Amino acid sequence: MPDLLNIARPFGDLDRPVDVETEREVTRWLHLEARLLDAERYQEWIDTMIAPDIRYWMPDMDTRRRDDPRGTFRHGESAYFDDSWHELSVRVRRYNEPSAWADNPATRHAHLISNIEVHATDDDGVYAVFSAFTNVRNRNEADQDIVHGRREDVLRRSDGRLKLVRRRIFIVQNILLSKNLNTFF
Amino acid sequence: MRPVYPRASSYPDFARLVDRDKAQVDRRVFVDKAIYQAELQQIFARAWLFLAHESQIPNPGDFLRTSMGEDDVIVVRQRDKTVKAFLNSCPHRGNRVCMVDAGTRARGFICNYHGWSFGIDGALRGTDGKVYETDETFEKAQIGLTPVAQIDSYKGLIFATFDPQAPSLEDFFGPFTWYLDIMLDNDEGGTEFVGGAIRSIIDCNWKFPAENFVGDILHAFWTHQSGAQAILGGAVDLGKRYDELAFQASVYGHGIESNLDKVGNTRTLGYPELVDYVFDLSEKARDRLGDIRARAIGAISSCTVFPNFSFLPGQNTFRVWHPRGPGKIELVAWTLVNKNAPEHIKELYRKGTMMTFSPGGVFEMDDGENWEYATRVNEGFVTRHQPLHYALGLGTEDAASEMPGHVHRGSLNDANQRLFYTRWAEFMKYDNWTDLQNGETAPPVRRAQAAE
Repeated sequence: MPDLLNIARPFGDLDRPVDVETEREVTRWLHLEARLLDAERYQEWIDTMIAPDIRYWMPDMDTRRRDDPRGTFRHGESAYFDDSWHELSVRVRRYNEPSAWADNPATRHAHLISNIEVHATDDDGVYAVFSAFTNVRNRNEADQDIVHGRREDVLRRSDGRLKLVRRRIFIVQNILLSKNLNTFF
Repeated sequence: MRPVYPRASSYPDFARLVDRDKAQVDRRVFVDKAIYQAELQQIFARAWLFLAHESQIPNPGDFLRTSMGEDDVIVVRQRDKTVKAFLNSCPHRGNRVCMVDAGTRARGFICNYHGWSFGIDGALRGTDGKVYETDETFEKAQIGLTPVAQIDSYKGLIFATFDPQAPSLEDFFGPFTWYLDIMLDNDEGGTEFVGGAIRSIIDCNWKFPAENFVGDILHAFWTHQSGAQAILGGAVDLGKRYDELAFQASVYGHGIESNLDKVGNTRTLGYPELVDYVFDLSEKARDRLGDIRARAIGAISSCTVFPNFSFLPGQNTFRVWHPRGPGKIELVAWTLVNKNAPEHIKELYRKGTMMTFSPGGVFEMDDGENWEYATRVNEGFVTRHQPLHYALGLGTEDAASEMPGHVHRGSLNDANQRLFYTRWAEFMKYDNWTDLQNGETAPPVRRAQAAE
């Protein structure tokens, strides 16, 4: 369990797929989350779906030789997100301001989630979840940004609700081909 | 094959697009393709450009790839600890010899096309196969990666120029080093970049972000209202002593504006421990930097080193706006810290710049769209014939100031931006460094000497 919550550690190969009912529950959770983010219901998202001990990390991707021991990213270096609940809440506060100009007029969002794999862990009610995403943002007349990537999530059940406690987000871009990231992944 | 360093020309018509008397700038400088090509020739092939921080490549063979203008460049630490930089292009068919962002302890670079290999000193070491070895006319020793014309560093920051005639790096800065030391020399032990680099694309002309950092605190109140609310729970505050302390200063187009309010910028990173650290640092730095500069370390302030290297004291983001055509830039941003800062302070700076001045940061988030549309609307033929207004703070020159350069009272001022564009016009107009270093943007003392 401690390993699973260590933001710097990859899942590796998981081989304990959950039963169909649990898989359906987790899939519904991911789809609901995507719908809240599409609708910019960020306050509701952080209040109801995010655990207080969340670690939310999206490193930037270096282009490195295959034999480079550093690899393409490393925890503790620069990142787009490396957030605890405090940092996420600061970001949400900006969205709540009417003068958040990059979001006014509103951005049109589509969070598409696929490739969902749900695995059991050593703890009941804690699940390790792989997924892939396509994130589309379009604003004004023709400004469009598309970000593709993969996620490694840990969901934990408490008081009957699933909440996100850890998320690792890996996008496929090296240089971010967008001027900003006015969304969550 | 000797390196070819393109010669400068003179574009007086382009220089006239900056109207000093009316304090106006012609918008064609932001979209015109011919002007952009002239910028690559007159500015980016001549000026000293930021390459890297020494701390990014500590060991022999450590390297990174960057740009000078649109030219792809490799920066490599040599065995004798000096740093060399080369065009990232094989002299055979021109392919890149380095495809990665960075690496450590490389022994050389090999072109993927025909296998020509180069040492970390840029010299041709060998070729694939035996063809060239049996060709008696092939003079291997004469072939190598094209080096920059000059390379030097100032207190940890490495710069280079493609112009053999360019003055030294210190002369290029002139007395502006007095201001650079606010960030580069405020404590013992020097500085370093922490973490890696964040790169992003903004569809704007490179001069908009450069002029924004050279002296546009004005935009902070409106553009960044939401970010300030999110982090501070209130508006940006220039401090009670604004009238007495706030200034802009410029030398050779490099510019800094500051409110000397000690910790205003640092406070916006959102971590009280950082504010305490900078307060203590500021007290300690008075011996080293004097009162004015000690107050500037974490103050509400911003700076651009002409043409396209910018930073924010107190928030510690350092960045280059690489031109990628008249309407596009690649932004690369790093975080600078004092080497002797405690680890947890370095970590808070890393997170603080991420939370504020990175693509998802609550301040940078709202900058990009402004610069994109300030650029894009000029595709309108009639629109781009309407000049832009840069006349805030005319008549605020503080000739009696003891600080170096052209000093103006008040940071809410277009003074530095006027001087930035004046410097731009000097680069367009002059084909030689004697004129370039003695024009209107030269420090007042030097201009007085040149006139005698």
